[in-house]
Amino acid sequence: MAASIRTVVFLAMVLAVGFLMIILSCVLYGNWLPLLVALIFVLAPLPNALFAHCGSDEFAGSYEGGASGPVDLGRFITAMVVTSGFALPVVLAHAQVIHNAACIMSILGGGLVYGTILAYSAAFRQEESEFDDFAVY
Amino acid sequence: MSLPSRSYDPRRVCLNPFPDIDLGKHRRTAGVYLAGGLFALANWLFLDACILSAHAKAPWGQPDTPAPVHVTFVDWLPGLCSLLGFLVINLIDKDRIRGEESFSDARAVWRARLFLFIGFALMAGGMAGSVTVLVIKYVIPNHADQFKYYSYASISQNLALMLSVVILWIAQNSSSEYEYNLTL
Repeated sequence: MAASIRTVVFLAMVLAVGFLMIILSCVLYGNWLPLLVALIFVLAPLPNALFAHCGSDEFAGSYEGGASGPVDLGRFITAMVVTSGFALPVVLAHAQVIHNAACIMSILGGGLVYGTILAYSAAFRQEESEFDDFAVY
Repeated sequence: MSLPSRSYDPRRVCLNPFPDIDLGKHRRTAGVYLAGGLFALANWLFLDACILSAHAKAPWGQPDTPAPVHVTFVDWLPGLCSLLGFLVINLIDKDRIRGEESFSDARAVWRARLFLFIGFALMAGGMAGSVTVLVIKYVIPNHADQFKYYSYASISQNLALMLSVVILWIAQNSSSEYEYNLTL
Protein backbone atom coordinates (compact mmCIF):
# COMPACT_ATOMS: atom_id res chain seq x y z
CA MET A 1 0.00 0.00 0.00
CA ALA A 2 2.90 2.31 0.70
CA ALA A 3 4.16 1.78 -2.81
CA SER A 4 0.88 2.92 -4.32
CA ILE A 5 0.85 6.06 -2.13
CA ARG A 6 4.39 6.82 -3.26
CA THR A 7 3.26 6.31 -6.86
CA VAL A 8 0.35 8.70 -6.43
CA VAL A 9 2.56 11.38 -4.87
CA PHE A 10 5.15 10.97 -7.62
CA LEU A 11 2.53 11.21 -10.36
CA ALA A 12 1.02 14.30 -8.76
CA MET A 13 4.44 15.93 -8.72
CA VAL A 14 4.99 15.09 -12.39
CA LEU A 15 1.56 16.50 -13.20
CA ALA A 16 2.39 19.72 -11.36
CA VAL A 17 5.70 20.00 -13.23
CA GLY A 18 3.88 19.53 -16.51
CA PHE A 19 1.38 22.28 -15.76
CA LEU A 20 4.23 24.48 -14.52
CA MET A 21 6.05 24.11 -17.83
CA ILE A 22 2.94 24.97 -19.83
CA ILE A 23 2.18 28.02 -17.69
CA LEU A 24 5.83 29.11 -17.85
CA SER A 25 5.75 28.86 -21.64
CA CYS A 26 2.80 31.26 -21.54
CA VAL A 27 4.18 33.68 -18.95
CA LEU A 28 7.76 34.03 -20.23
CA TYR A 29 6.69 35.23 -23.67
CA GLY A 30 3.50 37.07 -22.73
CA ASN A 31 1.29 34.96 -25.00
CA TRP A 32 -1.38 32.80 -23.42
CA LEU A 33 -2.20 30.66 -26.44
CA PRO A 34 -0.10 27.64 -25.30
CA LEU A 35 -2.50 27.23 -22.38
CA LEU A 36 -4.81 25.56 -24.90
CA VAL A 37 -2.37 22.63 -24.93
CA ALA A 38 -3.10 21.90 -21.27
CA LEU A 39 -6.84 21.95 -21.98
CA ILE A 40 -6.45 19.59 -24.96
CA PHE A 41 -4.35 17.07 -23.05
CA VAL A 42 -6.69 17.09 -20.07
CA LEU A 43 -9.64 16.44 -22.38
CA ALA A 44 -7.77 13.72 -24.34
CA PRO A 45 -8.78 10.62 -22.28
CA LEU A 46 -12.42 11.74 -22.18
CA PRO A 47 -13.65 10.03 -25.40
CA ASN A 48 -11.99 6.76 -24.37
CA ALA A 49 -13.65 6.94 -20.97
CA LEU A 50 -17.04 7.77 -22.49
CA PHE A 51 -17.04 4.95 -25.03
CA ALA A 52 -15.17 2.36 -22.94
CA HIS A 53 -18.25 0.50 -21.75
CA CYS A 54 -20.14 0.42 -25.04
CA GLY A 55 -20.35 -3.12 -26.31
CA SER A 56 -18.28 -4.86 -23.67
CA ASP A 57 -21.36 -6.56 -22.19
CA GLU A 58 -21.75 -8.76 -25.25
CA PHE A 59 -20.38 -12.25 -25.17
CA ALA A 60 -18.23 -12.08 -28.29
CA GLY A 61 -16.96 -8.58 -27.77
CA SER A 62 -14.87 -9.36 -24.73
CA TYR A 63 -12.08 -11.13 -26.63
CA GLU A 64 -10.38 -8.16 -28.18
CA GLY A 65 -10.82 -5.81 -25.29
CA GLY A 66 -14.24 -4.78 -26.51
CA ALA A 67 -13.82 -4.91 -30.27
CA SER A 68 -16.83 -2.86 -31.19
CA GLY A 69 -17.54 0.22 -33.20
CA PRO A 70 -18.12 2.72 -30.38
CA VAL A 71 -14.94 1.67 -28.56
CA ASP A 72 -12.98 2.12 -31.77
CA LEU A 73 -14.58 5.51 -32.26
CA GLY A 74 -13.50 6.56 -28.78
CA ARG A 75 -9.92 5.44 -29.44
CA PHE A 76 -9.91 7.20 -32.79
CA ILE A 77 -11.07 10.48 -31.25
CA THR A 78 -8.58 10.15 -28.40
CA ALA A 79 -5.71 9.67 -30.84
CA MET A 80 -6.96 12.66 -32.81
CA VAL A 81 -7.03 14.87 -29.72
CA VAL A 82 -3.57 13.76 -28.57
CA THR A 83 -2.11 14.46 -32.00
CA SER A 84 -3.83 17.85 -31.98
CA GLY A 85 -2.20 18.60 -28.65
CA PHE A 86 1.23 18.02 -30.15
CA ALA A 87 0.43 19.68 -33.47
CA LEU A 88 -1.12 22.90 -32.16
CA PRO A 89 2.04 24.47 -30.66
CA VAL A 90 4.09 23.36 -33.67
CA VAL A 91 1.64 25.05 -36.04
CA LEU A 92 1.50 28.18 -33.88
CA ALA A 93 5.30 28.36 -33.75
CA HIS A 94 5.52 27.79 -37.51
CA ALA A 95 3.20 30.74 -38.11
CA GLN A 96 5.33 32.76 -35.67
CA VAL A 97 2.41 33.40 -33.38
CA ILE A 98 4.29 31.96 -30.39
CA HIS A 99 8.01 31.71 -29.69
CA ASN A 100 9.88 28.51 -30.61
CA ALA A 101 10.97 27.93 -27.01
CA ALA A 102 7.37 28.33 -25.87
CA CYS A 103 6.41 25.66 -28.40
CA ILE A 104 9.00 23.19 -27.08
CA MET A 105 8.13 23.89 -23.45
CA SER A 106 4.40 23.48 -23.98
CA ILE A 107 4.92 20.22 -25.89
CA LEU A 108 7.12 18.86 -23.09
CA GLY A 109 4.63 19.97 -20.46
CA GLY A 110 1.70 18.51 -22.36
CA GLY A 111 3.54 15.23 -22.78
CA LEU A 112 4.18 15.11 -19.03
CA VAL A 113 0.51 15.82 -18.28
CA TYR A 114 -0.77 13.18 -20.67
CA GLY A 115 1.85 10.66 -19.57
CA THR A 116 0.74 11.19 -16.00
CA ILE A 117 -2.87 10.53 -16.91
CA LEU A 118 -1.89 7.37 -18.80
CA ALA A 119 0.32 6.06 -16.00
CA TYR A 120 -2.33 6.80 -13.38
CA SER A 121 -5.08 4.96 -15.24
CA ALA A 122 -2.75 2.04 -16.02
CA ALA A 123 -1.73 1.68 -12.37
CA PHE A 124 -5.32 1.64 -11.17
CA ARG A 125 -6.49 -0.68 -13.92
CA GLN A 126 -3.98 -3.32 -12.84
CA GLU A 127 -5.21 -3.34 -9.28
CA GLU A 128 -8.83 -3.75 -10.36
CA SER A 129 -8.30 -6.49 -12.90
CA GLU A 130 -6.49 -8.80 -10.51
CA PHE A 131 -9.81 -9.92 -9.09
CA ASP A 132 -12.44 -9.37 -11.75
CA ASP A 133 -11.51 -10.79 -15.09
CA PHE A 134 -8.40 -11.06 -17.16
CA ALA A 135 -10.02 -10.91 -20.55
CA VAL A 136 -11.61 -7.48 -20.41
CA TYR A 137 -9.11 -4.70 -20.64
CA MET B 1 -0.90 -17.63 -33.77
CA SER B 2 1.27 -18.50 -36.78
CA LEU B 3 1.45 -22.18 -37.53
CA PRO B 4 4.78 -23.64 -38.68
CA SER B 5 3.23 -24.84 -41.93
CA ARG B 6 2.55 -21.20 -42.80
CA SER B 7 6.26 -20.56 -43.39
CA TYR B 8 6.00 -22.05 -46.86
CA ASP B 9 2.89 -21.09 -48.76
CA PRO B 10 2.58 -22.53 -52.28
CA ARG B 11 0.50 -19.54 -53.37
CA ARG B 12 3.36 -17.20 -52.62
CA VAL B 13 4.48 -14.95 -55.46
CA CYS B 14 7.33 -12.87 -54.07
CA LEU B 15 10.59 -14.31 -52.84
CA ASN B 16 10.35 -12.56 -49.50
CA PRO B 17 7.05 -12.75 -47.67
CA PHE B 18 5.46 -9.67 -46.24
CA PRO B 19 6.60 -9.09 -42.69
CA ASP B 20 4.09 -10.70 -40.41
CA ILE B 21 3.95 -8.26 -37.54
CA ASP B 22 2.04 -9.93 -34.77
CA LEU B 23 0.93 -7.48 -32.15
CA GLY B 24 -1.44 -10.07 -30.78
CA LYS B 25 -4.64 -8.85 -29.27
CA HIS B 26 -3.54 -5.23 -29.20
CA ARG B 27 -3.33 -5.08 -32.98
CA ARG B 28 -6.79 -3.60 -33.42
CA THR B 29 -6.26 -1.02 -30.69
CA ALA B 30 -2.87 0.04 -32.02
CA GLY B 31 -4.22 0.31 -35.55
CA VAL B 32 -7.16 2.45 -34.51
CA TYR B 33 -4.94 4.76 -32.45
CA LEU B 34 -2.49 5.08 -35.35
CA ALA B 35 -5.30 5.84 -37.80
CA GLY B 36 -6.71 8.53 -35.53
CA GLY B 37 -3.31 10.11 -35.11
CA LEU B 38 -2.70 10.12 -38.86
CA PHE B 39 -6.15 11.63 -39.45
CA ALA B 40 -5.45 14.52 -37.10
CA LEU B 41 -1.93 14.94 -38.49
CA ALA B 42 -3.31 15.20 -42.02
CA ASN B 43 -5.75 17.94 -41.14
CA TRP B 44 -3.21 19.83 -39.04
CA LEU B 45 -0.76 19.80 -41.95
CA PHE B 46 -3.27 21.56 -44.16
CA LEU B 47 -4.38 23.93 -41.40
CA ASP B 48 -0.72 24.84 -40.95
CA ALA B 49 -0.57 25.88 -44.60
CA CYS B 50 -3.78 27.89 -44.23
CA ILE B 51 -2.53 29.71 -41.13
CA LEU B 52 0.81 30.43 -42.81
CA SER B 53 -1.03 31.80 -45.81
CA ALA B 54 -3.18 34.05 -43.65
CA HIS B 55 -0.05 35.42 -41.94
CA ALA B 56 2.17 35.64 -45.02
CA LYS B 57 2.38 39.21 -46.21
CA ALA B 58 5.30 39.20 -48.63
CA PRO B 59 7.82 36.91 -50.33
CA TRP B 60 11.13 36.42 -48.58
CA GLY B 61 13.50 39.35 -48.93
CA GLN B 62 10.96 41.72 -50.47
CA PRO B 63 8.96 43.21 -47.61
CA ASP B 64 7.02 45.67 -49.78
CA THR B 65 5.44 43.42 -52.40
CA PRO B 66 2.25 41.62 -51.39
CA ALA B 67 2.07 37.83 -51.39
CA PRO B 68 1.26 36.70 -54.94
CA VAL B 69 -0.91 33.74 -54.00
CA HIS B 70 -3.00 32.63 -51.04
CA VAL B 71 -4.76 29.45 -49.98
CA THR B 72 -8.24 29.67 -51.46
CA PHE B 73 -11.18 27.33 -51.74
CA VAL B 74 -9.52 25.54 -54.65
CA ASP B 75 -6.84 24.30 -52.24
CA TRP B 76 -9.48 23.08 -49.82
CA LEU B 77 -11.35 21.01 -52.43
CA PRO B 78 -9.02 17.94 -52.66
CA GLY B 79 -8.92 17.63 -48.88
CA LEU B 80 -12.70 17.86 -48.65
CA CYS B 81 -12.98 15.20 -51.34
CA SER B 82 -10.69 12.90 -49.38
CA LEU B 83 -12.62 13.54 -46.17
CA LEU B 84 -15.86 12.57 -47.93
CA GLY B 85 -14.20 9.41 -49.22
CA PHE B 86 -12.97 8.65 -45.69
CA LEU B 87 -16.54 8.89 -44.38
CA VAL B 88 -17.97 6.75 -47.20
CA ILE B 89 -15.40 3.99 -46.73
CA ASN B 90 -15.91 3.86 -42.99
CA LEU B 91 -19.69 3.81 -43.19
CA ILE B 92 -19.69 0.53 -45.13
CA ASP B 93 -20.63 -2.61 -43.30
CA LYS B 94 -17.50 -4.68 -43.61
CA ASP B 95 -19.25 -8.04 -43.43
CA ARG B 96 -21.07 -7.25 -46.67
CA ILE B 97 -17.85 -6.83 -48.62
CA ARG B 98 -16.67 -10.33 -47.85
CA GLY B 99 -19.62 -11.51 -49.86
CA GLU B 100 -20.87 -14.63 -48.19
CA GLU B 101 -24.14 -15.15 -49.97
CA SER B 102 -25.59 -17.35 -47.27
CA PHE B 103 -25.91 -14.31 -45.01
CA SER B 104 -26.93 -11.63 -47.41
CA ASP B 105 -28.29 -11.45 -50.90
CA ALA B 106 -26.00 -10.76 -53.80
CA ARG B 107 -27.43 -7.34 -54.55
CA ALA B 108 -26.41 -6.03 -51.14
CA VAL B 109 -22.87 -7.28 -51.69
CA TRP B 110 -22.83 -5.60 -55.09
CA ARG B 111 -24.05 -2.33 -53.61
CA ALA B 112 -21.51 -2.46 -50.79
CA ARG B 113 -18.71 -3.00 -53.28
CA LEU B 114 -20.00 -0.11 -55.35
CA PHE B 115 -19.89 2.15 -52.31
CA LEU B 116 -16.37 0.96 -51.50
CA PHE B 117 -15.36 1.81 -55.04
CA ILE B 118 -16.94 5.26 -54.76
CA GLY B 119 -15.10 5.89 -51.51
CA PHE B 120 -11.71 4.90 -52.85
CA ALA B 121 -12.39 6.84 -56.04
CA LEU B 122 -13.12 9.93 -53.94
CA MET B 123 -9.85 9.50 -52.05
CA ALA B 124 -7.84 8.92 -55.21
CA GLY B 125 -9.61 11.90 -56.76
CA GLY B 126 -8.55 14.04 -53.82
CA MET B 127 -4.98 12.86 -54.23
CA ALA B 128 -4.99 13.57 -57.97
CA GLY B 129 -6.72 16.90 -57.38
CA SER B 130 -4.04 18.07 -54.95
CA VAL B 131 -1.31 17.24 -57.48
CA THR B 132 -3.33 19.09 -60.14
CA VAL B 133 -3.58 22.14 -57.89
CA LEU B 134 0.18 21.99 -57.31
CA VAL B 135 0.88 22.00 -61.04
CA ILE B 136 -1.73 24.49 -62.23
CA LYS B 137 -1.69 26.98 -59.40
CA TYR B 138 1.90 26.87 -58.17
CA VAL B 139 4.33 25.26 -60.61
CA ILE B 140 3.19 26.80 -63.91
CA PRO B 141 3.13 30.43 -62.57
CA ASN B 142 6.50 29.54 -60.99
CA HIS B 143 5.89 30.81 -57.47
CA ALA B 144 8.60 30.66 -54.82
CA ASP B 145 9.07 27.56 -52.67
CA GLN B 146 7.52 29.45 -49.79
CA PHE B 147 4.19 29.31 -51.61
CA LYS B 148 4.60 25.85 -53.12
CA TYR B 149 4.61 24.62 -49.53
CA TYR B 150 0.83 25.21 -49.39
CA SER B 151 0.32 22.62 -52.08
CA TYR B 152 2.87 20.20 -50.65
CA ALA B 153 0.92 20.34 -47.41
CA SER B 154 -2.27 19.54 -49.29
CA ILE B 155 -0.66 16.54 -50.98
CA SER B 156 0.66 15.29 -47.64
CA GLN B 157 -2.81 15.72 -46.17
CA ASN B 158 -4.33 13.49 -48.82
CA LEU B 159 -1.56 10.91 -48.51
CA ALA B 160 -1.98 10.74 -44.74
CA LEU B 161 -5.76 10.44 -45.05
CA MET B 162 -5.35 7.53 -47.47
CA LEU B 163 -2.83 5.83 -45.18
CA SER B 164 -5.16 6.39 -42.24
CA VAL B 165 -8.14 4.76 -43.93
CA VAL B 166 -6.03 1.79 -45.05
CA ILE B 167 -4.67 1.25 -41.53
CA LEU B 168 -8.13 1.58 -40.03
CA TRP B 169 -9.54 -0.92 -42.53
CA ILE B 170 -6.78 -3.46 -41.89
CA ALA B 171 -7.03 -3.06 -38.12
CA GLN B 172 -10.78 -3.55 -38.06
CA ASN B 173 -10.78 -6.44 -40.50
CA SER B 174 -7.86 -8.45 -39.18
CA SER B 175 -9.24 -8.61 -35.68
CA SER B 176 -12.53 -10.10 -36.82
CA GLU B 177 -10.67 -12.81 -38.70
CA TYR B 178 -8.57 -13.42 -35.62
CA GLU B 179 -11.66 -13.74 -33.52
CA TYR B 180 -13.16 -16.05 -36.11
CA ASN B 181 -10.14 -18.32 -35.90
CA LEU B 182 -10.30 -18.21 -32.15
CA THR B 183 -13.92 -19.26 -31.90
CA LEU B 184 -13.64 -22.14 -34.34
